[in-house]
Amino acid sequence: MRKTARKGLNATILTVIMLGVGLQIAFSRSVTLNIIVMLICLAYLLYCRVAPQKLIIMLLIALPLAVGSWWSFIMFGVGDRWHSAWIYGSRVYAYLLLGAILTLTVQVKEILISLSLHAKLSETFVYGLLASFNLLQRIRQQFKLIQYSAQMRGKNYRPWQPALYLRIIIVALHWSEDLAEAMSSQGFSEGYPRTRTFEDPLPHWQWGLALGIIILYFWAAFFIHPW
Amino acid sequence: MVRLAVSNLTFSYGASRSPIFDRLNFDLVQGSFNLLIGPSGSGKSTLFKLLAGLYPEYGGIITTGTIQLNNQEVSTLVPYERARHIALLFQNPSRQFAMRTVEEQLTFALENLQLAPQSIPEVVTATLRRFNLESFRQQQLLALSGGEQQRIALATTIAMGSDIILLDEPFANVDQAGRQKLLTILKELQVKYGKTIFICDHDLTGYQQLVDHLYEVDAAHKKVPEISLQRLTTVKKELPVQNRLDKISIFNWQKLSFKSSSRVLLKPHSFQLPKSQVGLLSGANGSGKSTLFAALSHQLKYQGAVYYKSKASERIRLKRWAQIVGVVFQNSTDQFIKLEARAEINLSRQNSLHPLYWTDARITAAIKQLQLTNILDHVNYQLSGGQQKKLQVLSMLIMAQPILLFDEPLAGLDAISLKNVMQLIKKTVTDLEISSLLISHQRAGVTELVDYELLLANQTLTLEEAK
Repeated sequence: MRKTARKGLNATILTVIMLGVGLQIAFSRSVTLNIIVMLICLAYLLYCRVAPQKLIIMLLIALPLAVGSWWSFIMFGVGDRWHSAWIYGSRVYAYLLLGAILTLTVQVKEILISLSLHAKLSETFVYGLLASFNLLQRIRQQFKLIQYSAQMRGKNYRPWQPALYLRIIIVALHWSEDLAEAMSSQGFSEGYPRTRTFEDPLPHWQWGLALGIIILYFWAAFFIHPW
Repeated sequence: MVRLAVSNLTFSYGASRSPIFDRLNFDLVQGSFNLLIGPSGSGKSTLFKLLAGLYPEYGGIITTGTIQLNNQEVSTLVPYERARHIALLFQNPSRQFAMRTVEEQLTFALENLQLAPQSIPEVVTATLRRFNLESFRQQQLLALSGGEQQRIALATTIAMGSDIILLDEPFANVDQAGRQKLLTILKELQVKYGKTIFICDHDLTGYQQLVDHLYEVDAAHKKVPEISLQRLTTVKKELPVQNRLDKISIFNWQKLSFKSSSRVLLKPHSFQLPKSQVGLLSGANGSGKSTLFAALSHQLKYQGAVYYKSKASERIRLKRWAQIVGVVFQNSTDQFIKLEARAEINLSRQNSLHPLYWTDARITAAIKQLQLTNILDHVNYQLSGGQQKKLQVLSMLIMAQPILLFDEPLAGLDAISLKNVMQLIKKTVTDLEISSLLISHQRAGVTELVDYELLLANQTLTLEEAK
C-alpha cells in the first residue's frame, strides 16, 4: 500500500462534496445549476485522466433513464411541464457525474481507508466492507462454478432459479465465517489501534474548498433561484 | 519465551454432541519442531483452532479445562496480542485472504500487529524474498494457483513473526520441491530464531531429520499422546510409475494450447487419453495443471481442438459436455450441490451415468470403504477437510462421466484413506472404462497405482518414461 501519486482531490473531500451538493440537488429546482454541476464534474473527470471512452459509455447507459424521466414529466407533469422535465432529466446526469468524480477517480480501498482516517469511519466496518468487496469478485466466479458443478451432476440451474442464489448465499456465508476467523488469527482486533502504511494526505485547503463549494451551491440554489 | 499449555480440556461442537477431546492435557515444548498426525476427521484442525484461541469464540463449547498462554486463557486475549505469540495457517488457503493482492494481504496482517509503518514494506520484501515469491508481490490473489496461494498464506503467517507457528496442512497443494524448501525454512526458524513449530500433515515424507516431537490424535480416547519418532522411519517410499500407456482411446486433443492472464501455459500439444487407465498429471505449482482441466472441461478458452469419439467437442453444448467430462475440483466445497452428505450421494445416484453398476450395495460398500458411514447426516461444510475430499470423490465416481479429471483428490488424506480412495478410483476407472487424469503432489502410495505419468513443464506435456 504505497503512497499513490494520484491527481486530484482527497477521497474524503470528494465524498463530502458529493453528499453536500447531492443532497441539495434534491431540493433545488434549477436546470442551470444542474448543468453547471455536470460541466464542472466532467471537467474534473477529464483533468483526472479518466478515459473518455469510459465516460461516453457511462453517459450513454444513463440516457434512457434521463429521457425516461424527462418524457414522463412532459406527458404526465402538472404546472410548468417543460421546466420540470428538464430539471429531472438533467438531474439524472448531475447525480451520475457527481458520483463519478468519486468512484471513477479513486479505488474502493482508497475511499474506505480515507474515510476511516479523516471521517472516523470504524475500521471494523472499513475492513469488513473491503473484505466483502474482494469476496464479490470470487462470488462472480462461484456463480459460474456452481452452475457447472450442478451440470456435472445432472442438474441444471438457470439464472432465474432461486436454488442457484440459495447456493451462493450458503457459500458466501461459509466464506465470511472462514474469513472472520482468518482475520482474527491475523491479529485484526475490533476497536484497537493499528498502524498504517497507507498515506492519504489531506491539506486544509481542501476542506475549505469543499465547504466553499457546498455554501456556494446553497447560496446559488436557494437565494438566486436560476431557471 | 511463551508457554502454551492445555490442561484437562474437554471440548465439543455442541452440547448434545460427543466431545472431540476429553480431559486433554497437552504441552508444547518451547522452541521445538512438532508434527501432528491422525486420521481424517479425528480433530486435528479443531486442536489447532483451540490452541490459536479461535474456539470457542467461533464455535463449540469448552466444558472443562483451560488453554493457557503464559498463564492467561488464550481465547480471552485480544487478537493482535494473541497473534504476536501464536499464528495459525488454515487448511484452505483461498479462504483466508481479506485483501486483493499479495502485498496488501501481508501489509494488512503486519498493520494489525502494529508494526512501525516504515518497517512494514521492509518486512514484506524480506518475507517474499525468503520464500522466493518476489515476483508475486503485486499479483491478485484470486488469479494465483492453489499451490501458489498456499505459499502466500504460509508467508503471511511467518511474516507475523509469532513465537508459536501452527500450520494446518501447509503443503497439501505444494509441489515436492517447494515442500522441501519450505520445510528447510521452517527448521531454520526453529533453530535460529527459537520459534515453536507445530505442523499437521498426512504426508510424512521429509520430516525424519526435522521433528523433535511427534503427536497422534487418539480418536478412541479423545487424547493427543506423543508417540515414538520411530513412526517417521516407516514412511512409505515412492515407487516408480509403471509406464503402461494404452493406445485405445475415445478422447484426444490436437494442437491444444492455452494461456492464463497472458502467460502461455501450454504450447500446441496433442495427446490421446487412454481408456480404463489412470494417468498422473504432475508439474510444479502454477505450471497450469488445473488450467488444463479447465480447458478440457470447456471452462476456459483454448486454441486447438478436443475430440470425443472423433467428434469435435467445440460443437457440443456445455450442458452435454458436463456429462462427458467430469472434474473433481481442488476445492471440495466447490463441488457440493446439497447440504448434507447423504443428499449429495443420492443426487449422484439419481443421475448416475452407470446406474446399473452403482447399485445400492456397491454404494454402501464404497461409503464404508471411505469411512463415511457415520457422517452421512452431517452438513457438508462441517465435515473435516479429508471427509469432504472423500465425499466429493465418491459423488463424482458415482456420476462416472467417461472422462474424469481429478484435481488433487488426495490432498489432506491420511495414509489409509489415501489408499482406499486410490483403490476406489482405480477400480471404478477400470470397471467402467473411464479415461482419467489425476493431479497429486503426494506421490508415495500413488505412483505405483497409476498407469502413466504426464509432466507439465516448460509449457509442454511430456510422457515420463519409467526409470
